[in-house]
Amino acid sequence: MKPRLKLRVSGIGKDFLIPVIETVSFGVEAGEFVCLLGPNGCGKTTLLRIIGGIEPATRGAVLLDGQPVVAGDAHSRKVGVVFQEDRLLPWMTLEQNVALVLKPLGLGAEERHALARRHLVLAGLAGFEHYYPGRVSGGMRQRAAIARALAIEPDVLLMDEPFGALDAQNRRIMQNEVRRIWKETGRTILFVTHSIEEAVAIGTTLVMLSARPSHIRELIRNDGRVERGRLIDDLNTMIMEEVERQQGGAA
Amino acid sequence: MKSLDEWVDRLHLPTLTVTAVAVVAWSLLSWRYGAYVLPSPRAVVGGLADILRTGEVWTHTGASLSRILIGFGGAVGLALLMGLASFLSRRARAVVHDVLAVLNSTSVFVWIVLSIIWFGLSRWAPIFTTLMITLPVVASNIVEGVENVDRRLLEMGDVYRLGGREKFRAIVVPSTLPYLVAGMKVGFGLALKVSVVAEIFGVTSGIGYIMNYSREILATQMVFAWALVMVLVMMVTDKLVFDSISRRLSRWR
Repeated sequence: MKPRLKLRVSGIGKDFLIPVIETVSFGVEAGEFVCLLGPNGCGKTTLLRIIGGIEPATRGAVLLDGQPVVAGDAHSRKVGVVFQEDRLLPWMTLEQNVALVLKPLGLGAEERHALARRHLVLAGLAGFEHYYPGRVSGGMRQRAAIARALAIEPDVLLMDEPFGALDAQNRRIMQNEVRRIWKETGRTILFVTHSIEEAVAIGTTLVMLSARPSHIRELIRNDGRVERGRLIDDLNTMIMEEVERQQGGAA
Repeated sequence: MKSLDEWVDRLHLPTLTVTAVAVVAWSLLSWRYGAYVLPSPRAVVGGLADILRTGEVWTHTGASLSRILIGFGGAVGLALLMGLASFLSRRARAVVHDVLAVLNSTSVFVWIVLSIIWFGLSRWAPIFTTLMITLPVVASNIVEGVENVDRRLLEMGDVYRLGGREKFRAIVVPSTLPYLVAGMKVGFGLALKVSVVAEIFGVTSGIGYIMNYSREILATQMVFAWALVMVLVMMVTDKLVFDSISRRLSRWR
């Protein structure tokens, strides 16, 4: 018997005056690390926001543990989101920032702060618990945002180009960190990126979207059966084709 | 040589030089036009020393400040309610916007005349005038602060399912506070200037009253002395109250 899917995206579409996402369907098993790839403007971020219940879809449904996720409606599943920007509250320390999002879970103050500290340590921020976001580097702020998302013990963790603002060196370090945290916690992760190298380095499943209006062009298991260099080359070729198609369509 | 430059700036030496030149010019003009039009710097300093010695300075400054605190305090209270309303409802925000636009365009004199009609020659006339003039200044700042709350932070609050009260306490209040303090700083300065004008009518204490009285008894040096008192009160509250609040608020920066 097939294991029950953690997340099911079925027939999701979105129009902003013109259709941006035509129709996208895929399933994610618990513990998978899915990377969403595609040319710029194909709706990767929009798709992630629909899955997170931040934005409504025009068509289709998202099921998380069998429960529908609808923007604005409450559901009992927990979704952690790491945005492109850290979105920490600058007037709260890193620990207070993490402890804040634990409040709706109904924990006591002491328990919340203990949990916050534990997740900051997990994200490599031991010793910086009482720093304000403005006093630490961009990489450390993004670590704190990841700690915040993990602290609620999310059923699914959504990451929207979380390292886009970091330099190449910090990016590499953070990719390894996320990979390590994923292995340690076994969370289900959906990760949007425009970097093929990044996706191949950290994802277990790669979802390549087509040019706008987008559908899934290719769904690839990144299980090491295809050699990495070749996989990267193939994906690059696909992206270039999609970019050309988009430009051709616009002309 | 760098430290010498530093000292020159720290002691405000350039400003002091300009002041010295101004005082010399003032003395010459005073000598030319006479004490009624322009009393000499010495007469003004003497007058200031007199009211300090007799304690008169505290009576009138205290009277003015107590009226300002009531009028300005009321304005801050109303402004906070307007800010809260414009956070809670888009409609309320539009109404607050329009009301503030009207209040902002209303002259001080309108409120002075109306308050004399409504409250007679009593302390409530300057209090009401102060309230109506400072309200739009403080409220505009608060409403602007509420409007400038970072949407992305509110969205983060939604994603993590913070309740309305929690979002207000953790996100809206801290991001609006600097606007409130800036509005109060400008508003307080305005309150001091406006309440003194309103005190010309109907009350028998306060800096405005005593300045007008000094003019009537031809004691022009006292008009100057009281003007100096006003300037000092303004500068001291700015430095001691508002600057220290601003510093406290921005300790995380």
